[in-house]
This record gives sequence, C-alpha cells and structure tokens, in this order.
Amino acid sequence: MTMVDRTARQRGAMSYGFVSLYAVLTLAFGILPALYALYLAFTDAEGGFAGLANFSKVVGDFRFWPAVTHVALYLLIWLGALVVLVTVLAVIVHAIRVRWLSRTLRFVFYLPGALAGASSVMLWLFVLDPTASPVSGLLGLFGFESFVQVIVPGNLPVIFAIIAFWTGAGGWIVIMYGALNNISAEVIEAARVDGAGAVQIAWRIQIPMLRKWIAYMGIMSLAAGTQLFVEPQLLSQASNAIVPNDYSLNQLAYQYAFQQNDFNGAAAISLLLLVIALALSAVFVTRGGLFERD
Amino acid sequence: MARFRRASYVRSLLTITGSVGVLALALAGCGGGSDDSATTGSYGFPQATQDDKATITVWVDADRTKAADAFKKANPDVPIEVVTYDGSANGSNSFRTKMQLFDRAGSGWPDVVFSSQNNDAAWASQKSNGKQAFAAVLSDGLVAQDTLDQFTKGALNPCTVEGKVYCLRNDLAQVVLFYNKALLDKFGYQVPKTWQEYQALGEKVAQEHPGYIIGTVGDAFAPEIYFWSSKCQANDVTGPKAVTVNTGSPECQRVASMLDVLVKNGTTPNISVFTPEFVKKYSGMVLMAPGPAWYSGAIFNNPESLKVPAGQLGVAAPLAWAGEEAVTGNVGGGTWFVSSHSKNLKAAESFVRFATTADEYQVEVAPGYPAYAPAGAKWVKKQEESKYYATDLQAVVEAGTAIWSGWGSGIFSQEAIWAKTMTPGIASGKSLVSLLPEWQTAIKNQAQVDGYTVK
Amino acid sequence: MTSAGLRGWSGRTIVTVMVAVFVLFFAIPLVWLLLATTKSARGLIVGNPFAPGSLDGLSTNWSQLFAFQDGAVTTWMGNSALYALGALIITLVAGIPAGYALALTEFRFRRLLLVLTLVVMLIPNTALVLPIFLELNAVGLIGSPLSVILPMSFFPFGVYLTYIYFSTSIPRDLLAAARIDGCREFEVFTKIALPLAAPIVALVAFFSFVQNWNNFFLPFVMLPSSDGYPVQVGLTSLLASTPAFNPSSAGAQSVQLPTLALATVVSVLPVLIVFLVSQRFLVAGMTAGGTKE
Repeated sequence: MTMVDRTARQRGAMSYGFVSLYAVLTLAFGILPALYALYLAFTDAEGGFAGLANFSKVVGDFRFWPAVTHVALYLLIWLGALVVLVTVLAVIVHAIRVRWLSRTLRFVFYLPGALAGASSVMLWLFVLDPTASPVSGLLGLFGFESFVQVIVPGNLPVIFAIIAFWTGAGGWIVIMYGALNNISAEVIEAARVDGAGAVQIAWRIQIPMLRKWIAYMGIMSLAAGTQLFVEPQLLSQASNAIVPNDYSLNQLAYQYAFQQNDFNGAAAISLLLLVIALALSAVFVTRGGLFERD
Repeated sequence: MARFRRASYVRSLLTITGSVGVLALALAGCGGGSDDSATTGSYGFPQATQDDKATITVWVDADRTKAADAFKKANPDVPIEVVTYDGSANGSNSFRTKMQLFDRAGSGWPDVVFSSQNNDAAWASQKSNGKQAFAAVLSDGLVAQDTLDQFTKGALNPCTVEGKVYCLRNDLAQVVLFYNKALLDKFGYQVPKTWQEYQALGEKVAQEHPGYIIGTVGDAFAPEIYFWSSKCQANDVTGPKAVTVNTGSPECQRVASMLDVLVKNGTTPNISVFTPEFVKKYSGMVLMAPGPAWYSGAIFNNPESLKVPAGQLGVAAPLAWAGEEAVTGNVGGGTWFVSSHSKNLKAAESFVRFATTADEYQVEVAPGYPAYAPAGAKWVKKQEESKYYATDLQAVVEAGTAIWSGWGSGIFSQEAIWAKTMTPGIASGKSLVSLLPEWQTAIKNQAQVDGYTVK
Repeated sequence: MTSAGLRGWSGRTIVTVMVAVFVLFFAIPLVWLLLATTKSARGLIVGNPFAPGSLDGLSTNWSQLFAFQDGAVTTWMGNSALYALGALIITLVAGIPAGYALALTEFRFRRLLLVLTLVVMLIPNTALVLPIFLELNAVGLIGSPLSVILPMSFFPFGVYLTYIYFSTSIPRDLLAAARIDGCREFEVFTKIALPLAAPIVALVAFFSFVQNWNNFFLPFVMLPSSDGYPVQVGLTSLLASTPAFNPSSAGAQSVQLPTLALATVVSVLPVLIVFLVSQRFLVAGMTAGGTKE
C-alpha cells in the first residue's frame, strides 16, 4: 500500500466523519419527514392508497384558487420590488462617497430585519391603522379612513409585500453593496475613461456582475414567499378574522391539518407548493447561472 | 484497495439504512394508539384506569388562572398542575389543534380544559379518525344531574350534542340593550322596546344629534347581536353534521334592511368597539348599544375604553320585533371540558364543578355573568350593590333565559365567516341586503368543508 | 455622490428624494415603536404619534409586562435563549465540517447530499412539522426542550453558505500543500480551513440564531405548556390577552397596547443587539464567497 492510498482512504473516511452529524440531521428532520408527507399525500386517513384523490379534493376546495391567486400576486409584487429596488438602492448607496453617510444609510435599511415574524406584524398593525398610525396623513391621501378600509382583500398582497420588504430588503442591500465592492476599481475606471455615465456603468457592468447574487436572492425569497404563513395568520388573529385565516396556501394546509383533521389533504397542498417552488427556483437558477462554474 | 473501498461503502450504506430503519420503526410505533389501558366505565365512555392520587393537569387562559387559584385554596389536598394557554381565542383553535396532536401521539392530554369559545363540543364530542372523542360525557353520571339542572335554562345548549352534555358553561353572554341614561334623559328620548322603535330612534338621532351612535356592526359579533335575535336562519345546526342555512328569509331581510338604514345615516358605524379608532371617535358619543352582558366590564366600565362614569349606564331587556316575543342572541361565554382520557376523573370533575358553580370564583372573582343560575343571581346582586349602574340588572337575568335556540354551535365559526365576507363588503359601501346571498354561499362553503351536509 | 454619474441637478435631486423616501420608510415604524413603549394606552391613541411619552409611562408598561402571569415573560426569554443557543451550537458542530467536506473533499453521496440540501431548503414548513412531531413523540421527546432544539439545529441554509464559502474562497492547492507537509485530514480542517472560516462561522451563527429566535410554528406545535414557550410564541399569549385583538379577554387581566409594543421590543432585543454588531461581518462573510465568481 502506498502513501497516497493511505491518505486518500483516510480522506474518504474523514469526509464521512465530517458530514455524518449533518447527514443524520438531514435524514431525521428533512428526508424522513418529507417521505412521510409524500406517503400521506397519496393515502387516505386509514392508510390505504388514494391515488390522486387528495389532490383533486384540495384543488376542488373553494378556498384553493383564491389562495393560489393571493400568493402569486404577493410573490409577483414582492419579488419585483425586491429585485428592482434592492439593486437600485445598493448601486446608489455604493455610489455615495461620503463614508459615514453610506454607512448610516445601510444601517437604517438593515435594522428592521431584526423585527421578523410576529414582531413585525404587530408593528405594522399599528402603522396600518389610521387612528394610531404615524403616517395617518399618507393613508388619508389614499382615501383610507379606517383600519377595515386599509385591509380590504385587494390591498393585502401589497401590504404583505411591504411588510416583507421592510424586514427583508435591508439585509440584501447590504449584501449587494458588499458584492459591488468586489468589482475591481480598474474596470469601473476604464469604463469611465471611455465616457460611460453612472447609469451606464450600473447597467453594463455592475448589474451583470450582481447577476448571481440577484438570482440567489430570488431563490431564497421565493422559498420564503411561497411559505407565506405568519403574516396573514397573525393579521387574521389581530383583525378579528377580517383577513381570513385561509388566505395563503400554507395556511390552507394548516387548516386542513389542524381544523379538519385531514393530514392527507394538508400533505397534498404542501406537495403542490413544493413543486411550484422548485419549478420557479429552476427559472432563477438557469437565468442567474447559479450552477455555472467559471 | 478496490475491495476495501467497497467494504467501507457497504458499511456506510448499512449504517444509513440502519438509522433509517430505526426511525422508520419509530414512525410506525406511533401509529398504534394506547388504548390498551382503556376499559368502558360507568359514565358512558371508555375510561383509563383510575387513580385518585393522580395529579390533574388543567389548561386555562390568562383570566381563568384565578379560578385555578381559588380551587387550590379551597382544595389544598387535590394534586393539580395549572398550564396557561391562549384559551383557543380568536380562531387560534389551539385547543383543537393540540388535542388532535395528542390524539396522534396517543398520550399527553390535559385532564381539564377551559375554552373561551363555546362551539368546541361540536368536535370534542366526536370520534376523530377512529380515536376516542376527547370530551368526557358529563351527563351520564359524572356530574350530578342536580348540578346540571341548576344551570340557567339553555346555558348548556352549546355543550349538548345529541342529548348528552360534554362541557360546563363558565359564563353566559346574552345580548341586552345598554344605554346611556344621562344622555337619553338629556335628549328627551325613551328607551326603545322593539327594533322598529330602535330604528326610528336611530333616524331621529341622525337628524337631531348627528355624531351620536346607537350600535356598531364593526365586530364579527354582528350576526350574533342582530341576526340571532331576529331569528335569522343562518346557523340552524340540526345534527352533529347537518346545518340549514337560509339567509333569504324575511327574518334575515328585516334586520339587514334596518341595519342598512342605520349604517347609512351614521348611527351604527362599521367599526369594531375594541379598536383604538372606536375609543377615539366615540368616547361619550355612545347613546346606546345592543351587546353581550360582558360589554359592561369590557367597554363601558373600562378606563382604557369608553370609561362611562358611574350612575349613567342603564341596562334594558332585549328588543323584540313588533308583535313577537323578545328573544336574544349570545356572544361567546367560555366552556370547561373534562378529558375522557383522564386518570383521575373524580378530581377533574370536582375542578370543573368548582370553577362553574362555587361562589369563591363565580361570584367573588369572575368578570362575566355566571351560567350557573344560583351564582348568577348572587353575581347580579353584587354588581347592583356596586352602584355603578343607573338601573337594576334584572334585564340581564331575564335575557339569560331568552336566548333563541334556533342558532346552533357548529364547528365552523360564524364570526370568522362574517368577518371575512361581510365586514369588507360593508366597508366598501355595499348594503347588507345585497350581501345576504354572498353570506349564504360563504356559510355553505365553510360548513361543507367541515363535513356538514347543508340544506 | 459620484461626480461622473448623475449628471446635472435633476438627476441628483431624483436620487436624493428617492433615498430620503426609503430612509423614512425604513426608519419611521421603528422610531414610532420605541416611542410607543413610553406612552399610556390613551396617550398612544389620542396624542401626537411622534410625541414621546414619559419615563413613568415606560416603567408602568415595564412592570405590567413583567407582572403578566407572574413573570412569564422572563421565563419565555430564558427559554428562547436556551433553544436558540442550544440549536446554534449543534448547527455549527454539524454544519461547518459538513460544508467543508462538501466543498473540498470527494466522497460518495457528495452530490446527493448537496442536492438534498437545496431541495430541503424549499420544502414548506407545515409539511414537515407534523411528521417531525410524530417522530419525536415516538422517542418520547414532546414537551422537552430537545423537541425544539434538534429540529432547529438542522439548518441546510447554513451548510449551503459554508459550502459556497469553502468552494470559492479557499484554494484547494493550499490544502494539498498542507497534506504534503504531513498534516492529517483532521488537522487540515482544524489548522488550515477553520481559521480561514471565521467569517462564515460568524455568518452561519448569525443566521441560525436569528432564525431560531424568531421560529414560531415549530415550538408552537412541540411545546404544549406555556412554561416552555419561547418568547415569540409567548407574544401570542399577550396578544390573546389584549382586548383590542381579542375581545373575549377584556376584563380581568388584560394587556394594553403600549405594553404589547414594549413586549415586541423586548422580544427582539437580543436579535437587535446581534444585528447591531453583525453588519460588518455579514458583508465580509457573504461576499467573500462571491469574490471568485
């Protein structure tokens, strides 16, 4: 046996050692539960094979298509805002040469991220109520005089998008800013010598360089966005159910599991959700070239 | 070398399949329930083996911890563990959620549960997926018939499924008419006796004293306050899984068109009484309001809300429709359940009996009107002695027995349906009459999803 | 602002206005929330939204909050810390070596494990919580802190970040050189890779801690007793005791809006502190992985 063999083998064995704990966790809290959900989705309450019955049941549910529409609208608005505004703001903040100003701006954008989930919903509850709101004047401009008028169904996708943007955008701005820092100064300088303006530099050089990060942001946000749950759930609880508790697909799955005691139906919805999320992610992966090796 | 590699591959594969196997076994292991210790007992449901010394676990909401404190003081020798949860309030359904998880797990149920909702018997009395129903039958010997009989007539209706009682009612939430006597006297108005007079008064107020209000439709209680007491057939639960819905009936139409007039002229705003907005706009402007008995403590005599000074608030009997006998609605009123899985039914029973009937809690401490009639009478007396009210409280007592029985307690929440379909509709300016068909469809859809046959 | 850029006055104005609008958008709610904690319930509704209350108001709200259910808030904060930190430690111990091995070593199942990591990141939570509940129930862990800590310590996102970091910012030649110098595999990891990985360890720790602290659904299902709640779930108990959000709680032991606002602030304090110190390494960690791309 040669020396190389020994190390190679040792390296192989060591690799298993390195991944073992994570592999066990993946199995216990990722794969097995997922397989069990898969099993549930294709069986009935007694455990017999149900074929596609669970799927046709949930798709035929009167709440299903409204929930699909809600989530789709929300995703469209939120992802659109995220991709456009985060990129633009990052480029602007990056262009500011006054260091303290740039740093302060990033900090202000970033801080709301600390209030996630339940906490941010509670805060926005106040902000959206014209009586207590610090921006009641602004709400008045849009013709909203009462809380109930603010949270009519048509406004909800925008509201959830705003809440998500408020908590989530700052972190991404900071990350994009960091990525922009990595673009070498010579490239930018050369473009400038060639007579390119700031807008052109952003469009031709900076944004293409950010492509992978934008795609990455898209995937992560998509994964979170299709799982929309806490926001409508708490808004529903706090608005005394004016925001329905079956607003999003994930909530509908929750309703199936814990209201109707139908875990099979819940699993079917979750599976549909997973397929949609994976398909949409594929778009970002291919468009953003995330798996390309350069 | 190659052979070695294969060996290690096989070994790792074995390890992996091994752990999968263990976990798969674990998964399979929880499929079987723990019914082995259950025997059919003398109270009409399969009991676990009893142990008089076993600690009972009691789930209460924040407010009801005081009931547990009072019980501990009165019965220091009963071993009891108190757990606080959200009371299943506001459609959180945590009571049902957790019990279903325990059903799946086959263990872990608490012995006694308080729910702030009154429609839990609808599911708790039923087997689910072949698992024993959570709620113990109370009327087959567990609770003395004599005790059950002394609850206010109709108070146990939400607890009763197919003739058997599955829970004890904590408090009644009968709808009465609150009014500000000082304002009414100042304006020279009479307390209305019928809904027709009420509407006429509303039109007069809109003309003579705009800004003052005589009710609200902003809460999800609106169907219970107005439509229930108008005998609207929106929630006629006829069996454990059957409901009849007809919101097109004249009884529904009349109350909807009355509210349309009052909403339009501003005397019945579409604003929840619990919002800051309401307090800001209508402090001192509430001339009258039909509402459940607990409105007095929650809104009128609450320094954080309307803060009506002592000596002004009057309570009148529920309104009637001209030519009919007055009936009324009900908004909430909590319920106490005993678990059919309890290992110490004796202690569990003594707890729920104490919590619903004992003076130490229901009269001395409880904020709402007790469902247990003897405690209710003492509670009213105590409230009257406080000199807060401008009138006596006999209207509350009478309304307690006048709750219309044609409005059931199904699994689905009428309040949630109203909030989801009607409140946004009214907010966008549609009339209630025009929304009735939409309401009907929403109730039907929701009931069907919950497995009801809808007529 | 850059000179070559937005030529002329109008371009600058547009950019300035835009930045100003977003600063207000991000800052106003936070400022308002902090002010709200100092007000009385009536002052919150009736007064000017940006008029501060008083220290008195703050201390009243403070004592109301911590008196709630005999100091339940203190218990919840302790639970949150236990769950978040416990899971954080396991996440790091399991995830960092895994990300390293995935990026820099070859072994069977490497690709499989990588793809699984990506897929599991996308699975909706509700789909997994019930099967996990059944699993943990079978081993008798329901209600124990481990029922929350173990599932939370499975953190594929962290492994993925570590993987990206190691595969892009540590040259394989460096490791090869170390091996030729006679380093054993374990030493290559501890002596060469780990010291270089400080930014990514901090980053994973940051994300893990924040996510664990804010996790709502898992503890809600796993922990039946209020004594075991983390603070985010505990907030719903407070919410359920606030008449404005739960009419049926009006009366005895109710919580007022400014107290709820204070609870919101208290519940995020640790995360807020982590955020205050984390901005710098967040940039370093995230973009170090991106440099090579």
